[in-house]
Amino acid sequence: MEQLGIEPKLLIAQLINFAIIVVVLQKLLYKPILDMLNKRKKEIADGVAMTESMRVEEEKFKLKQEKALEKAREDAMEIIEDAKKQAKEVEKELVADAHTQAGAIIARAKAEAEEVEKQAQVSLRKEAIALATTMAERLLSSVMTAKEQHAYIAKRVKDLESWSNRL
Amino acid sequence: MLRISLAAERLWTLWGFPISNALLTTWIVMAVLIVFGVAATRKMSMIPGNVQLVAEMIVGGLYDFFNSIAGSFVGQFFPIIGSLFIYILLANWIGLLPGVGTIGFYRALEQGTSPEFIPLFRGSMSDLNTTIALALVSVVAMQYYGFKNLGAHYGKRFINFKDPIMSFVGILEIISDLSKVISFAFRLFGNIFAGEVLLAVMAFLMPFIVPLPFLFMELFVGLIQALVFSMLTTAFFTIAVSHEE
Repeated sequence: MEQLGIEPKLLIAQLINFAIIVVVLQKLLYKPILDMLNKRKKEIADGVAMTESMRVEEEKFKLKQEKALEKAREDAMEIIEDAKKQAKEVEKELVADAHTQAGAIIARAKAEAEEVEKQAQVSLRKEAIALATTMAERLLSSVMTAKEQHAYIAKRVKDLESWSNRL
Repeated sequence: MLRISLAAERLWTLWGFPISNALLTTWIVMAVLIVFGVAATRKMSMIPGNVQLVAEMIVGGLYDFFNSIAGSFVGQFFPIIGSLFIYILLANWIGLLPGVGTIGFYRALEQGTSPEFIPLFRGSMSDLNTTIALALVSVVAMQYYGFKNLGAHYGKRFINFKDPIMSFVGILEIISDLSKVISFAFRLFGNIFAGEVLLAVMAFLMPFIVPLPFLFMELFVGLIQALVFSMLTTAFFTIAVSHEE
């Protein structure tokens, strides 16, 4: 034992030394360092969890936003469709109204034209009769007596009347 | 002439207590560890400074490493196995520093003999007192954790009268655990002492360049021995707490 240098006092001293090292390192180094590492690990885990929850929230918000946008788009399309329908109906009404008004104007114009034509015919007939009477009077005054003239004129007027009726 | 001594040299005696050069080096190692511990944790912050960062790397790395062996028991074991690793590693590396084994004084060991060189410092692990102390800690702590976690059931590992085979196995277990003290102590002592002798011989034969590769090898041996001691201890602790009949 002496040759190997084993000495109980030194051995006990080394045991105490190591015990001191264990206690001091546990108090000074291991505990604070491991606590700090765990604290940091927890903070990182919390941070990651928070980021993840924020990401999920963001996705939810995006989804909500997209839905709202889609709904707004659908509403807008519906409003446009309604407006188009209404416009078409108004257009139809306007066209029908215009047609009716045009028909009435045309009918009125036709009636007026017919009236004017009738009046023209009547005045023309009167003028023709007057002219013929004048011409016949002037012609017959030289060859016929007044009685013969009247008979002849009456006959011719009758002829004219029947002629004009044929027109 | 080169002098090689298996035993650590006694420097002084203080009130009947011997102070050896290995013990003096152990105190230096302890002082370094305490100073480092204080410096690393004096101003702890979430954003670590350089010393705190190194301490976190060492402690966190060791904790994860031993966690892979001990699993859920690492919290219980870590103060001892972590200290074993750090202490053995630092003691081994400090033992390689220039001056350790070379700074000293001449003194006659016995009256009438010529004075001999007594180094002031000697690698802590090249003293059997240190390695036996560590081996005792390892084996005693193993029994402590065994009884703490398994209760009286752990005792059946050594004393079991169920059948003759188990009784014999119990005796073998006792011998095995006692032999662990010797194997732990002499493995560490042998490796480190042999390394120091090798370096001393190399430096004696060829003082320049030639010892360098051996110095690097001893750095590596120091790390490996710290790792082997702490890993074996962890493995034995784990076996002790998960012991079944």
